[in-house]
Amino acid sequence: MGGTFVITLREGFEAALILGIVYTYLQKIGAERHYRYATRGGLLGVLASIALGVIVTALSGPLLDLGPDVIGLGVIFVAVVVLTWHGYWMRQHARAVTGDVTRKIDQAQATHRMWIIGVIAFAGVFREGAETVLFMWGLLTQATSTSGWASALGAVLGLVMAASLGWAIFRGGRHVSLQRFFGVTSIFLLLLAAGMFSTGIGRLEVMGFLPATSTAWDTTFLLDDHGVVGGFLNGLIGYRSRPSMLEAGSYLLYLIVAGTLLFRSGASSPRSRAPKGRIPAHAA
Amino acid sequence: MRRRLTLLIAGLVAGLVVVAGAASAADAPPEVALTLDKDQFQPSEIKVRANTPFVLVVTNKNAKAAEFESKDLRVEKVVPAGKTVNVRIRALKPGTYAFFDDFNKAATGRIVAE
Repeated sequence: MGGTFVITLREGFEAALILGIVYTYLQKIGAERHYRYATRGGLLGVLASIALGVIVTALSGPLLDLGPDVIGLGVIFVAVVVLTWHGYWMRQHARAVTGDVTRKIDQAQATHRMWIIGVIAFAGVFREGAETVLFMWGLLTQATSTSGWASALGAVLGLVMAASLGWAIFRGGRHVSLQRFFGVTSIFLLLLAAGMFSTGIGRLEVMGFLPATSTAWDTTFLLDDHGVVGGFLNGLIGYRSRPSMLEAGSYLLYLIVAGTLLFRSGASSPRSRAPKGRIPAHAA
Repeated sequence: MRRRLTLLIAGLVAGLVVVAGAASAADAPPEVALTLDKDQFQPSEIKVRANTPFVLVVTNKNAKAAEFESKDLRVEKVVPAGKTVNVRIRALKPGTYAFFDDFNKAATGRIVAE
């Protein structure tokens, strides 16, 4: 039971984290009525995961060999793009926004960007979704014995635990000031996107599209990225206990490039010196 | 802004499809069979030639999905129930590489490259 609990908790954590952040973000900018974008994106992610899970079991040959990998890679790089974009946007606003939120938010602009929230929610759920669906499905078909039931129950509890963590982020985030929330999450999203970027590069490396590199370090004995704590850190900041040189390098490269973009433009652009409490109309 | 993102996504997808196509059309390396049956890999130790790429043909005979995974090889691949999946493995330096089923940790094995 414990084993399946850890697996679904690990698979579900990243999705819960991302959903927790986007809902809090919507609440923060006074756009509760736009929750539906996140909800729809997340639901679409669930449906797409189930669909892919079903399709994968029906596939065979090269489609089964490469199909899921190609889709997985696509989702990873789309997620990196939207997360970077969103982090950049939040960073800009973290510096510009002070005081009463709802009055000062440029609603039209917020509405214009809402579909990105949907894409983020979708990618967050879909990324590990199909795998989780297949895993759960296998457990449920075996839930005829006592141990089978215990395994299935453990897996369900793992998902519930992940969802609770997302909910906790949402509840906790509501009490943090907008500026701090934007500031902190833009850094989190940066690390999250760096982890995803490095994972995507690692997949390309394993598939043979990028040159193979040796292991950069091995801290599995210290903190396994498949355990509970290591798995959390993996979802949170992209921690890897045994990355290749290329994976470690791409993580660093992403951090440097995106970090420079986020923090330098935030500090030097005139929009950060905009009058207090006003969001410049061109910030998005 | 929306158009640019759509273009970017379309470009990424097109690139991946081309790359995937090119990969599947490449010369076929030797195949090595591996079967997962009743929580066990058969054989549990695979001997391969070092410095030569090969394809691991993983068949899952169980009634539930498995995930063939190796931290040493950095491979993660879902194998649905009753299905066979080809896993391309790159040229390995001489050594031992452990693998397991991430959905069922009881099933383990290793590849020995010589």
